[in-house]
Amino acid sequence: MALVHIDALHKHFGSNHVLKGIDLDIEEGQVIALIGRSGSGKSTLLRTINGLESFDEGRIEVDGERIHPHETDLRALRQKVGMVFQQFNLFPHLSAGQNVMLATRIVKKMPEQDAVDLAKAMLLKVGLQDKFDAYPDQLSGGQQQRVAIARALAMQPRVLLCDEITSALDPELVNEVLAVVRNLAAEGITLIMVTHEMRFAREVGDKLVFMYQGRIHESGDPQTLFANPQTPELASFIGSIN
Amino acid sequence: MNEIALSAIIRNLLEGAAWTLGLSLTAFVLGGIAGLILLFARIAKNPLPRRLAQAYIEVFQGTPLLMQLFIIFFGGSLIGLEVSPWIAAALGLTLFTSAYLGEIWRGCVESVPKGQWEASASLALTHVEQMRHVILPQALRIAIAPTVGFSVQVVKGTAVTSIIGFVELTKTGSMLANATFQPFLVFGLVALGYFALCYPLSAYSRVLERKIHGSRAH
Repeated sequence: MALVHIDALHKHFGSNHVLKGIDLDIEEGQVIALIGRSGSGKSTLLRTINGLESFDEGRIEVDGERIHPHETDLRALRQKVGMVFQQFNLFPHLSAGQNVMLATRIVKKMPEQDAVDLAKAMLLKVGLQDKFDAYPDQLSGGQQQRVAIARALAMQPRVLLCDEITSALDPELVNEVLAVVRNLAAEGITLIMVTHEMRFAREVGDKLVFMYQGRIHESGDPQTLFANPQTPELASFIGSIN
Repeated sequence: MNEIALSAIIRNLLEGAAWTLGLSLTAFVLGGIAGLILLFARIAKNPLPRRLAQAYIEVFQGTPLLMQLFIIFFGGSLIGLEVSPWIAAALGLTLFTSAYLGEIWRGCVESVPKGQWEASASLALTHVEQMRHVILPQALRIAIAPTVGFSVQVVKGTAVTSIIGFVELTKTGSMLANATFQPFLVFGLVALGYFALCYPLSAYSRVLERKIHGSRAH
């Protein structure tokens, strides 16, 4: 049984049919790279997996937790699915450590000291053990994004969703964030990432999913797909990136 | 004609100012509580409380405070309720204040970026937890300056209640002006009285803003 199971998923934004029947199975430990032009539906697909976007038809199951269309009670699901955003979205009124601790304290009701220890361990994992008391506005973009990764990991999710997490970063800060993601992949965390970093997708991804006009147009092993795209759309997309 | 000593004028004006202050505090505290309820109604997921709160806000923002006071004051006696100027003034200003504070605070909540809602939602926080731990602390910081700024409007708005016969600073002033034939002196002192009430508020808002802003940098 796949960890994430998506079946015949449809979504409209008004009259715009953005997801036109998506079927996708993701196994535990897999790293999935979702690629495609803007407007192809890749971010929308990612956001349906933790209920930030509702959908109209189809089903999504994450680790046995079923999301129905227009579901509103998503608490159980969201404890299994972590997310990292393009714009970091750290809580500016809380320190890095408090950002990482917030949900473990409130949602998991973890005792204060345990939550502090866990937050320190998570910050260590992203190389920011000395930034526990720093506030987001005192950190660089790359550091903020690493705190955001630590914050998501503290909830010990089964799947981590990454939505263009290096797109808002200055070029010299991209690598420190990718290095963290590379380590997570090596640890066997299940990752689904929307990315424009093709070289990274090719290197770290287990499966490449190319979205085109609301459908999965082509998917498979990254090396094979990059070397030998089966459709002209993917070929032209790869061509436009390189 | 009787000379009224300056000291007597000042003593009377101070008494009037105390009523102005009392009325302002009452309106601000009660209006703040009602404003908070309006805020939660305005940002509720259910459309019914949202629409009710919006209608309330539009009525009280779309009519002059003086008319609201007239309606409460005269409307009460029309249905056989004895409404004292104090009750009418306090009730009228409370309703007026709540409509503005509710709307000011909604603006502050909505100015917190959408990403803060999404990030806290993705961490499995409930709506109430998101508000309490993520959204309101940020909205509060944004709200301080406009809230205290609006409290200055409440203090000045109390002057309108003199028209329904509530004896606060302005009403005391006009009575004294009639008795002394020295309107320039008396209303000069009245204006000074309002300034003395309002200036500390705006100065305090600046201090608070700096304090709360500085508090996250260490």
